[in-house]
Amino acid sequence: MQTPSWRRFGILMSTLLMTALLFSACAPAAAPAAAPAAAPAAAGGEWSLEQAAAPYAGTTINCVFLDRPGYRAAIELIPEFEAATGIDVNWEIMPYENSREKQVLDFTGMTGNYDCILIDVVWIGEFAASGWAVPLERFYNDPALADPALNLAGFFPILLESFGTWDQVVYGLPFDNYSGVLFYNRCMLEEAGFDGPPATYQELMEVYGPALTQDGKYAYALQSRRGETQSADSFMRVIWPFGGSLLDENFEPNLMAEESLAGLNFRQELMKYMPPDIVEWDHDETVQGLAQGNVAMITEWSAFNAYFTDPETSKIVDCIDYAVEPAGPAGSRPALGGFSLGVSANSSPEKQAATWLFIQWVTSEAKSKDYIRAGGVSGRMSAYEDPELQAQYPYFEPLVVSWKEYGNPVFRPRFPEWPAISELIAQTGTEMMLGSISVEEGAQRLNDQIRAILEEAGYYSGDRPKLQ
Amino acid sequence: MTVLRRRRRLWTDLWQAVLALCLAGIFLLPVYWMVTTALKTTTDTFAVPPVLIFQPTFEHFLAVYTEGPVLKSLVNSLVVATTSTALAVLIGAPAAYVLARFNFRGKADLWFWIISNRFISPIVVALPFFLIARDLRLLDRHPALILVYLTFGVPLVVWLCVDQFRAIPREVDEAARVDGANLGQVFFRINLPLAMPGIAVAAILAFITSWNELMFALVLTSTEARTAPVEAANFMTGFGIRWGPMMATGTLIVLPVLLFALLVSRSLVRGLTMGAVK
Amino acid sequence: MRHKFRVNWPAFSLIAPAIIVLLAIGIYPLLFAVNISFRQYQLTKQYLGTGYVGLQNYITVFNDPLFWESLLRTGQFFLLTVPLQIVFGISIALFIDSIRWRPLSFLLRVLLVLPIAVTPTVVGLIGRLLFNRDFGLMNYLLGLFQIAPVSWLGEPVPAMLTIALVDIWQWTPFVALVMISGLAIVSPDVLESGRLEAGQGWNLFWHVQMPYLLPGLTAVLILRTADILKLFDMVFVLTRGGPGVSTELVSVYVQRVGFRVFDLGVASAQAILLLLLCIVLSRGYIRLFYREVEA
Repeated sequence: MQTPSWRRFGILMSTLLMTALLFSACAPAAAPAAAPAAAPAAAGGEWSLEQAAAPYAGTTINCVFLDRPGYRAAIELIPEFEAATGIDVNWEIMPYENSREKQVLDFTGMTGNYDCILIDVVWIGEFAASGWAVPLERFYNDPALADPALNLAGFFPILLESFGTWDQVVYGLPFDNYSGVLFYNRCMLEEAGFDGPPATYQELMEVYGPALTQDGKYAYALQSRRGETQSADSFMRVIWPFGGSLLDENFEPNLMAEESLAGLNFRQELMKYMPPDIVEWDHDETVQGLAQGNVAMITEWSAFNAYFTDPETSKIVDCIDYAVEPAGPAGSRPALGGFSLGVSANSSPEKQAATWLFIQWVTSEAKSKDYIRAGGVSGRMSAYEDPELQAQYPYFEPLVVSWKEYGNPVFRPRFPEWPAISELIAQTGTEMMLGSISVEEGAQRLNDQIRAILEEAGYYSGDRPKLQ
Repeated sequence: MTVLRRRRRLWTDLWQAVLALCLAGIFLLPVYWMVTTALKTTTDTFAVPPVLIFQPTFEHFLAVYTEGPVLKSLVNSLVVATTSTALAVLIGAPAAYVLARFNFRGKADLWFWIISNRFISPIVVALPFFLIARDLRLLDRHPALILVYLTFGVPLVVWLCVDQFRAIPREVDEAARVDGANLGQVFFRINLPLAMPGIAVAAILAFITSWNELMFALVLTSTEARTAPVEAANFMTGFGIRWGPMMATGTLIVLPVLLFALLVSRSLVRGLTMGAVK
Repeated sequence: MRHKFRVNWPAFSLIAPAIIVLLAIGIYPLLFAVNISFRQYQLTKQYLGTGYVGLQNYITVFNDPLFWESLLRTGQFFLLTVPLQIVFGISIALFIDSIRWRPLSFLLRVLLVLPIAVTPTVVGLIGRLLFNRDFGLMNYLLGLFQIAPVSWLGEPVPAMLTIALVDIWQWTPFVALVMISGLAIVSPDVLESGRLEAGQGWNLFWHVQMPYLLPGLTAVLILRTADILKLFDMVFVLTRGGPGVSTELVSVYVQRVGFRVFDLGVASAQAILLLLLCIVLSRGYIRLFYREVEA
């Protein structure tokens, strides 16, 4: 009895909401074009970036950036923001490998160097639980600061949920977004008689592997260098498609489960079709391997596309093609990754407000297409419906399919303990691949270590909610 | 007879020259390779076989220059290394003088304690120093690094200068004392100038060690006071290594020190070997 | 006749700054570290607090095979590098000593200074370039001799060899310089009479020159031991301890626990143990060798 009416109510409400959002989304997008910073204060009550930023003109904010395409894209856009607001945006580019340490040292060292902080999908639990990132509701509920066109619902839900939100509180807006995608060299595959990429990992191993591995060329490369690359890109990538997982539903380590072991053993076997020093390959080597024509297929982050389409860095500009990551017995479970931008709790209130305005602007729907054209990967759904952009960026399709259909928010758990666990996986995972420890021994060792960490953190005693 | 001998000598000389050239090649090659890579285009860097003759480009140096942080880090390194070295000399030289001139109980232990700081692994100091600097609000500021670099600067100066002061005859001191100079004057006006050669050696070594230091700088600085080695280490990332700018940065860090080292090579050799051969 | 205890104030005031500074930046941090090593101190888990946990951190370290393996690895690295550095160093010293054409020997001696002055961090970066599997110079040179490319940084044993080779490159000149100054002490008279007794070549070296090199050799051992226990920057940049843990020397490991895992308590306990090792070794060495200085 009750359900249908509730549902009807829900539909009504969401229609209303959508209409409202639609209207508000159109308004500011048109505004700057019509009146470029002329007299923003005129229409009382109407929100404009210029007006909202007026109290913060002259403020300088520091961002944590990486040396990746999405950040270079943002750097291209920043002058526009600075001109409109008078807020100075500085950035510090650091290697990913140091970025968590740098930020943690800044948070715990009370240096307050960074205002606009970078939150990896796997750090959000740590940053939120430690109180280093400010809950963003403080800003988006403040009419003076919140752009009516903000539209949080316009982000791919999986992105906002997994690297923006912790325990139902939003801490960051998705900025540099990745899905694992199968990049392949169509020419090499065609030469070997294949008219498409493998749909499953089984096929990759049994059919494509032997056919494509010869004369110093390799069928596949899986970046596995010790670090987050090993734990996220290599280790977790083979666990999920085989039905395994890091933790089971009771939060117990699950690496000794048959499915998890199957995935790890598969990786071990697949190494015969990978370059011999694959354990030392990071993203760079892997991308180079494909771009230089030495490797036929890689499963890498979508953000690398620019490397393959630029003739200066790629020999395979005309051969690059894309597909969703191969499926395992448990289906396709592509890697999910990415970064959101958040506001540091150590910054002064003015800097925090200025930072929010910047984050809101750079991740907005209005700027999403410019961001993509400058080389970024936006988290806004609307941007990917543009036919012109679709034609220009053929990798959109597997990307959107991965986010919409196969999104796995717990691809890596996001709780504060992950960095410590990742460190252990990175070490034992590489040792496994090198053969200095067997898969079973390694999995058992990791199980024990992970349990100890979770035990100490109080998950089993019920002191802490079992959040991933 | 003499012709034969002279000819054999000539052969020996030639043989020695060739071997010397090989040795020089081995020791110079890595540095040479760094500098040339900094001057190569990206395509030339990846070329197999390696390109030996190429059209040099300054694009990487230009990129490093326009991006900014490397230059700032070089200035930071210069400030930190210079100040720390000056302080180390100012603090270490008088101590070395006292150790050289006076006898007192526990002198050997004191000497050992000062010197033993050289043997302590920096990580032992870096961990607590991070927390101390945090509480003093010194993180990411020059004083923290300047202070912590004294942990090796002062022992170095003491170690190398004790001998230098010993070599100055006591009569010099005594003559000055007769003329009414106090100990401070005797030290600063008479002994210090006489010991300058040794002090210079110690200062050069302390400077180079500070300039090259990474571990403390990694822990104690982030944005503002970041030194050049940290900047260089930052190039090591798994996501697209920029070899050209990386090698350009390496060149900018290393070349000034190398030129300096060449200029003062005689003192430097003395400093490096002084503690070793007595 | 012993004097009564009396403070020479002027002298004391000259040495006091050094003592105060080293107390402040040497001893105080150490006490601080000792304190932390008895506490729970995880920077990223502040909800755990920083209470005292007794010997817990030390027990963790004693039961941590990785720590002991990293120490063992450091020992292996020592055995891999120092003997070769000594052999090459002495050979180079004898060679330079035998050069009669002055400018050449002078030039070589100057060149020897260079590797020592190169920033170790940059040495690591250069290593990445030279030992790159695909376009590195090393593999190209090997290729000239028909040797298949080695993935220097990709496999455990080659990676260890790589950091050892780099260390040998950087520090052999130091050993050579020390040996040259040792050889310089041998007076021409001694050398001449030695030639009459022992003849040329090996005999001359072993019986006449070698005794003069012994002090320098001991010093080299001391300094290299201390340096290798400290070695961090070159390895951090070149391999980061990888692949796996195959080049994770003890300093690199402690740094990882302290500033990647952010477990300052355990890292401090490790650092204290490392310090004890340093003290024991350096004390032994210094007593052995610098005895006359203390007299």
